Amino acid sequence: MAGGERIPGTPRYRHHHLKNPGTEPFFPNFLLKEWIVGSVFLLSFMLWIVFNPVDLGDKANPDDTSFIPVPDWYFLFLYQILKYYPGSDIVVGTVLVPMVASLLLLFAPWLDTSKARHPYKRPLATGAMVLTTLLTIWLTNEAAVQHQAEVDAASGKASAGLPALPKISASQIHLVDTNMPGYKLFEQTCANCHGKSGEGGMGPPIYAIGKYWDATKLKQFVNNPSGGMPKNGTLSSDADVQKVVDWLSKQKG
Amino acid sequence: MLKKAYDWIDERLNVTPLWRDMADHEVPAHVNPAVKMSAFVYCFGGLTFLVITTQILSGMFLAMYYTPDITNAWYSVKYITDEVLLGNVVRGMHFWGASLVIVMMFLHMLRVFFTGAYKAPRELNWVVGVLIFFVVLAFGFTGYLLPWDQKAYWATAVGSQIAGSIPWVGPYIQTLLLGSHTVGALTLTRFFAIHVFFLPAALLVLLALHFIMIRSQHIAGPL
Repeated sequence: MAGGERIPGTPRYRHHHLKNPGTEPFFPNFLLKEWIVGSVFLLSFMLWIVFNPVDLGDKANPDDTSFIPVPDWYFLFLYQILKYYPGSDIVVGTVLVPMVASLLLLFAPWLDTSKARHPYKRPLATGAMVLTTLLTIWLTNEAAVQHQAEVDAASGKASAGLPALPKISASQIHLVDTNMPGYKLFEQTCANCHGKSGEGGMGPPIYAIGKYWDATKLKQFVNNPSGGMPKNGTLSSDADVQKVVDWLSKQKG
Repeated sequence: MLKKAYDWIDERLNVTPLWRDMADHEVPAHVNPAVKMSAFVYCFGGLTFLVITTQILSGMFLAMYYTPDITNAWYSVKYITDEVLLGNVVRGMHFWGASLVIVMMFLHMLRVFFTGAYKAPRELNWVVGVLIFFVVLAFGFTGYLLPWDQKAYWATAVGSQIAGSIPWVGPYIQTLLLGSHTVGALTLTRFFAIHVFFLPAALLVLLALHFIMIRSQHIAGPL
């Protein structure tokens, strides 16, 4: 690399024999290496593009207000900040936070004026940047997760966190322990959305949910459901919920 | 023959000092990954520029087919995606490249920040870099509307509402962005013009300043 090939009989190339060890001219030496890095980078980029084709959504329809808007991913952190300042406080999210952050970033050289450059020697600047970066990543992720939950809820899928079972016809499902009290309750309430055999309807299929979740986990979900399911699945008492999940946890498909 | 042509031009334009300065300047060891692998962090700036170049090129080709009016915009993007030879690849480059610029630029900024490279005498280059960052975000915001699909329309609708909620100046900013009180025909032509004329002009000027300053101030020394 930096030394080139050895010609027989010439002394071995050593960086520290040079006046400025390791330096090399920009052209052609350094540019050639940069070009190689660039080629590998471009090749990976092209492969990514070929295997991830971009889709085009439906044509814009100003009358369809049911569409859940979301900005491109690199604006999500800003979008998420807005959610924490509802009502008249919104000005904190729209003006104050972005303005202060932009000005701090723009004038960083005049805020961190010490001669020291090593990140460990200026803990305040380094700490602030690490924290900001982590916070930005967290906000971005939080916004993406919340948007996905919103989309799922709107499309009536209770997929949020629930193990997905393949859709099969009711005649292929063999429920067990149908003499338990939980089954009666299931038939009367849960079946309205999940089907008589748990094959799924408006709600997702749950005929073999016991294979993935035990009674405790199931109860947690039913007490605090997501994805459009009503609280406690409209069962009137916690004891009833317990009966249903006791039975459901035995359904292992 | 080639030498003669070069001499003829050099006699008149004196290009030799210019390009010798570019070619002969020494690249220090601490930024050269061939000397020390960890120096790869110094690649992010160059890679950002590489992606910006592909963005400009793919954007020029997309502009050959794209129609910035609300009846045809969506159909022209559909035509690019489904019919034009390699159209989906060029659109893919522009779409994914937009995210890649942000990622690479962010990594570049973190490298400059953590190595303290923005300190005297390089403060102005940091400021120009932050301005480039804002311009790139503006590219993202305006470019997102152009396909004129549901995602694009409603993101801009909400974005402009947010801008409109800013006290005092909000309504003026909203009108300036939208060209009217709602996202429509004027908004699309406006965003198109900003995306392909105003912002590239600003970006090229800022990039030129960024690079001239690197050459005159040199790369910051080793930590």
